[in-house]
Amino acid sequence: MKPTLLSLLALCAAAFANAAPVQVAVAANVQYAFADIAASFSRDTGIAVQPSFASSGKIATQIMNGAPFELFLSADNEFPQKLAQAGFTLQAPKSYALGALVLWSKDPQFNPRQWQQWLAAGSGKVAIANPRTAPYGSEALRVLDYYRLSASVTPRLVSGDNIAQAAQFVVSGAAQAGFVAKALVLAPQMKGAGRWVDIPAASHQPIVQDMVLLKPAAANPDARKLFDYLSGPAARQILQRYGYRLP
Amino acid sequence: MNGLDLAPLWLTLRLAATTTLLLLLLGLPLAAWLAHSRSRLRPLVDTLVAMPLVLPPSVLGFYLLLALSPANAPGAWLRELFGVNLVFSFAGLVIGSVLFSLPFMVQPVAAALSGLPPSLREAAWTMGKSRLATLLRVELPCVRPALVAGVVMSFAHTVGEFGLVLMIGGNIPGVTRVASIAVYNEVEALNYPAAHAYAAILCAFSFAVVLLVNLLRRRAERIA
Repeated sequence: MKPTLLSLLALCAAAFANAAPVQVAVAANVQYAFADIAASFSRDTGIAVQPSFASSGKIATQIMNGAPFELFLSADNEFPQKLAQAGFTLQAPKSYALGALVLWSKDPQFNPRQWQQWLAAGSGKVAIANPRTAPYGSEALRVLDYYRLSASVTPRLVSGDNIAQAAQFVVSGAAQAGFVAKALVLAPQMKGAGRWVDIPAASHQPIVQDMVLLKPAAANPDARKLFDYLSGPAARQILQRYGYRLP
Repeated sequence: MNGLDLAPLWLTLRLAATTTLLLLLLGLPLAAWLAHSRSRLRPLVDTLVAMPLVLPPSVLGFYLLLALSPANAPGAWLRELFGVNLVFSFAGLVIGSVLFSLPFMVQPVAAALSGLPPSLREAAWTMGKSRLATLLRVELPCVRPALVAGVVMSFAHTVGEFGLVLMIGGNIPGVTRVASIAVYNEVEALNYPAAHAYAAILCAFSFAVVLLVNLLRRRAERIA
């Protein structure tokens, strides 16, 4: 009986010590990688993490209107910059990853070697993230421009609310193909769903992903620990495993 | 306001008008059947018609996305039948909207029809009117306020649709980007002036609709 009671007390103490999990807003392309990083961080430090996933634009809007996030992992470097200029951050943004785009499809005809011809000749919908709020969407448009595919593909574009919805359009077969983050197709959850091909980085602007500590983090030292952890070896290894290049 | 893209507003009106028209064609016979039938299926159909009132739009959106996807049997069949993909299309939004607004048309009309004295229909029948003629010429004119309320509310509810369109629309300008989605887009892109313009127009519209329904109801009560 006694050890049980003791361990229960210890558990309560631990629960109180970690009363406030770090509130993190995470761009949808990082959701699977971040889940692994958060698990590793909690294992190493005993600090709980509570992530919310959405498009970077939505998160930025929410932060500007008082969302209590302490840390923001964006899919680009513009939204964190905007937040810094508007005075919502504790310090300057810092890059944590460089994103990569892939073209992804479940179509049996999909030929990754000749994806441009296949894409131009196709007739099905092509999913991207909303170009106005998600950098993976706007870079996908640049890719189409670069390969002169705009004329044939633009009329078939459908945009997801964020990159995860674009991926879901591909998984459900509603769209024939989609430009998504490499991190999503490398996630274990997506394993075996269709095939994908790397989009050459030269065809678009680099997707520099910044993170930033927000004002509410001032009251929670654990938030800074996670911020530092994200630049550490454990997090970098996980990010690489999900196809990100490192800054 | 300058340079506000009006396409989402026109698209919304077109979607709401098409949906309302289809609901009149499908909803009125269904309402008549619900009002008069003694079938054992009636409670079941009644329940199904009311389901969209309580179902989250995301549930309907999820099922419709899977059903209309060309990768699945129903979507593939519809594609062969009509030669078009229904997901991410205006037609797909119409299907979703009809399902979603069905109770707003059927329920008030069915309630009003079942409140009519049976002698009315029976008199029409004895004078040789068919069931259809009785419905169109005798019963429906008697429940005009409910009919108008059904039309106005179906129309307005379609204008107010959001979650379903977000899930099966794909945000295509001029095809599936309706006004509610346009507001959402502008807010996310931090373009508040445009968001305000759309939002104000939708507020004015909703106010006018609810006011209209209330005035009609009061007039109907005065007559009755």
